[in-house]
Amino acid sequence: MNIVLTINGIRRELTIDPGETLLHLLRRVGYKGVKKGCETGDCGACAVLLDDRAVNSCLVLAAKADGHEIVTIEGLAQWGKEDEIYPIGQAWDDELHPIQRAFLDAGAVQCGYCTPGMMISAADLLAHNPNPTEREIKEAIAGNLCRCTGYVKQIEAISKAAEIIRGLHE
Amino acid sequence: MSLARLKEYLQPASLDEALTLLQNGPEKTRLIGGGIDIVLHNKDVERLIDLSRLSLAYVNQEETGISVGATTTMTQLLEASPVQGYLGGIIPEVLHLVASPLLRNLGTIGGTLASAHPWSDIITLFLALAADVTLFDGEHHTVPLVELYRGKYRKILSGAIITGVFVPNHPSNTAAAFRKFSRTGFDIALLNCACLIQLANDRCSKARVVAGGTPWLASRLTSVEEALIGEPFESRSIVKAAIMAESTAAVHGDTRASADYRRELIRIGIERCLIQVMQRSSG
Repeated sequence: MNIVLTINGIRRELTIDPGETLLHLLRRVGYKGVKKGCETGDCGACAVLLDDRAVNSCLVLAAKADGHEIVTIEGLAQWGKEDEIYPIGQAWDDELHPIQRAFLDAGAVQCGYCTPGMMISAADLLAHNPNPTEREIKEAIAGNLCRCTGYVKQIEAISKAAEIIRGLHE
Repeated sequence: MSLARLKEYLQPASLDEALTLLQNGPEKTRLIGGGIDIVLHNKDVERLIDLSRLSLAYVNQEETGISVGATTTMTQLLEASPVQGYLGGIIPEVLHLVASPLLRNLGTIGGTLASAHPWSDIITLFLALAADVTLFDGEHHTVPLVELYRGKYRKILSGAIITGVFVPNHPSNTAAAFRKFSRTGFDIALLNCACLIQLANDRCSKARVVAGGTPWLASRLTSVEEALIGEPFESRSIVKAAIMAESTAAVHGDTRASADYRRELIRIGIERCLIQVMQRSSG
């Protein structure tokens, strides 16, 4: 069957098997930043934004995403720059998204496998709550498993990213 | 991972069309809301009927309660304005404990009720809130949620579509509380429980006490409710009710928790729920 997706702002017409998952499709057409992990919705490595909300792409049938907008880690830096995704409605002057910049600055990446999904969850959080508490950050990444760092640096990075985003407005 | 046997993915534009596709489909025909359980547990499905184009994603404040469409995601319900002030915000409070945001952004309320997982926190809560379910099988039916899982409606469910759930308003002297026991916040419940208590002159006039993940599907603890009704709502009666729950509730052991452990949890859970109800009633 044929579907149409907008992936990272680009309209794509794609042929799929009816039972193919969005994770499988995205990786098949080149978005390898979407990581294949547990494929049972436990690890969050495959997270993407589906109409601006973070979901496990391993649990979404590609057919279900027909007509919808997808943002993968490859498109995160661009996402929100023009579309007033964040409540503050401001762009940033950086080739990286504030979340990506904060992860680098905080040293929140070790093996990196969980990082794309973690950043996607963080992007969803900060789009809806630009001033989260630590507890809210922990809840936002509850579905993203990291086996390297113990989450401390990622939480620090997301908190820092929120500051960066709010700072754009101030 | 994919659904290798799936031949048709259909997105009907009306309830009538969806029902026809359901009733005339091959044996392995399923409805799909968010699709989590379909992808995880229905590997042999041949036809899927996606309900997302039926305009069933809504949360409406009505005169007698809150109406929630079947394809409303858990996140949409959690964030909806009508539920924020409903019984002190018990619905978002519980939804924050369900799975992860990644799953809540995908999973739907109708899908949750249809999947009927015994550990479901939402079913436990909705049973306590005296929710009704709306079904469509060519005619629209409204039935108490508890009826969905037994008797004739359980049979109807296989050939019908859940269109929504309705949580009724309760008098102002009513409070609710919920407790979930799990290994991590993200994990499914080893046991959960919920209470809805109405007070009149400091006595319990109505009670709905529910436990789920026992490890069976949530059900009301009627003997506990009977022990509470008519009694002064105070520490002594709460302890008595919790002990009643421990001694009368049907619990069983499985790979995740022993029967003895669940019996302990049910006592503690009911006691903590009732204490919280007392605090909320006095606050």
